[in-house]
Amino acid sequence: MQGLKALVIDDEVDMCWALERVLQGEGIKTHSAHTAEGALAILKRDSPQLAFVDIKLPDMDGIELARLIKASNPSLPMVLISGYYYGDDPVIKKGLEEGLYVGFISKPFEVNEIRSYARRFFPKEGSL
Amino acid sequence: MVMSDTEKFFEQIISHLPISILVFDSSLKVVFVNENFLEKTRLKLDAVMGRGPEGIFPPVLLKYSHLPVLLKKVIQEGKGIPGQEMVYRAPGIPYRVYYYSLNPLRGIKGMENVMLLMEDITEQSRLREEVRKTERHLASIVESANDIVVSLEPYGTITTWNTAGERITGFNALEVRGHHITTLCTSRDAEEMRQVLQNTAQPGKVEHLEVEITTKGGKKIPVAWGFSSMRSEAGTLVGLVGIGRDLTETKQLQAQLIQSAKLASLGVLAGGIAHELRNPLGISSAAAQIFMERPDDPQLLRECAQKIHTGISRASEIIEGLLKFARPSTRYNEPTDINKILDETLGLIGKQLSTQQITVHKELDPSLPLINADGKLLKQVFLNIIINAYNAMPRGGQLWIRTEVEKGWRPSSLLVTFRDNGAGIPKEHMDKIFDPFFTTMPLGKGTGLGLAICYGIVKEHGGEIRVVSTEGEGSTFTILLPITK
Repeated sequence: MQGLKALVIDDEVDMCWALERVLQGEGIKTHSAHTAEGALAILKRDSPQLAFVDIKLPDMDGIELARLIKASNPSLPMVLISGYYYGDDPVIKKGLEEGLYVGFISKPFEVNEIRSYARRFFPKEGSL
Repeated sequence: MVMSDTEKFFEQIISHLPISILVFDSSLKVVFVNENFLEKTRLKLDAVMGRGPEGIFPPVLLKYSHLPVLLKKVIQEGKGIPGQEMVYRAPGIPYRVYYYSLNPLRGIKGMENVMLLMEDITEQSRLREEVRKTERHLASIVESANDIVVSLEPYGTITTWNTAGERITGFNALEVRGHHITTLCTSRDAEEMRQVLQNTAQPGKVEHLEVEITTKGGKKIPVAWGFSSMRSEAGTLVGLVGIGRDLTETKQLQAQLIQSAKLASLGVLAGGIAHELRNPLGISSAAAQIFMERPDDPQLLRECAQKIHTGISRASEIIEGLLKFARPSTRYNEPTDINKILDETLGLIGKQLSTQQITVHKELDPSLPLINADGKLLKQVFLNIIINAYNAMPRGGQLWIRTEVEKGWRPSSLLVTFRDNGAGIPKEHMDKIFDPFFTTMPLGKGTGLGLAICYGIVKEHGGEIRVVSTEGEGSTFTILLPITK
């Protein structure tokens, strides 16, 4: 399990808490950032294997942040989370089709949705 | 009979007098007639001389003036009869009005004669009738007016008012005569009205105010008054005139308009509100699920319950703010903290601003005095202006919100300034932005009522809105609100 890390980006501290809690339950270490700037800073010194990105951030639009991350960390899979959009919004579909992110979760969500992304992008527990 | 020069001289004067003269003897036969009478009546000298009134005057005239009777009376009593009017109508002669008098002539040729003097006043009578008509016309204008027209003595005592005054207040002109006009107002407004009346007494001043008056039936109705002074030709104050308009219906329409504009801004808020609700809902939901998966961990239970509680409280606060804003409210002035109203407004829309990367810089003067205002209405004004700034900065920006007391020796207003670095307003739109239904938004996106309503609300508070804007650089809206004395 060493080295498995996810990055959680959401301006809501409690939302980060919930996501981290679920991921940690899967044996994944987490970092959290509340701004785009903070997220980019973490990505400079660390390389997580999965990122959860909230779309409405105070300093940048989450989709825009996803593009920046894609440019600097092209292999990092991202899951977008939003309380503003729904999965069938054209702007969300477009990013999925482009392969900018691997999935989208709308708030409120089932914790199993988070868990299933974690299991998809991290090797199964005990396989290491 | 040979006339002397003197007699000829008098004869000339008499015949040229612009007055008709007839002299009757005691048997009521004409013994003298002047040229003027013959000209006016188009009668020949021998058709008049030696005849009685019946042979000279038209029968209708005799019937209504009782001329023969009056002539007899003068002869019998030796006393003249002062001026009266007669209308002279005869075939082939234009209609004339005469002012006539009967005067006894004593002792000439040893007999009693009566002189009938007739002055043609047809023209004066026509003018007088015209004046009367004009007066009647003016009176009927005042009477038919839909607004109260009241005339006051210089200090405000009612002299009279029109039918609209009766209809609107229920008091007829007699009931209000002699009462001071301020007795109609609620006591709160009376002092203000007294002040306005005093100002109106200054030459050339027209004063306006809005007060509630109490009708005979005890109902309170809003009336907008305009007062001006009535002056004599010499310029001395004769009285005051007030025109009062019943605002009941206007107020109702205004309230409806405000409500519809409110609903329109709710549409703008809805997107942001949904987002705001989904965050605390998401947190509460996740926390509940996390706990359900590990029901045996008391520490986790506490933590999760805490998060759920916080999330729900936040969600209900958002809903409460929204409901309070959406609910129609009756206008109510009370001492109001403008800073607090601004904070509450930002509470409604702040999240939406920040998600559009708009940074709000608040510079609220903590020593701002309370003002007498309707906080709910002002909240709508602030919200509208902030929404405009939000729409002007689709890719983010800065919004400065500042409150301060007007500078100067005796500040009378406080200023609320909203400055953004958004799109700005094109020059050609500047004089239209407060017009109702003026909008640059696509169809269905904006009603164009926002700023018109803001303008109305601020005016109603006795304040004003100023705008400075440069296209491409941003806009500054300044709201001036009077500080309550």
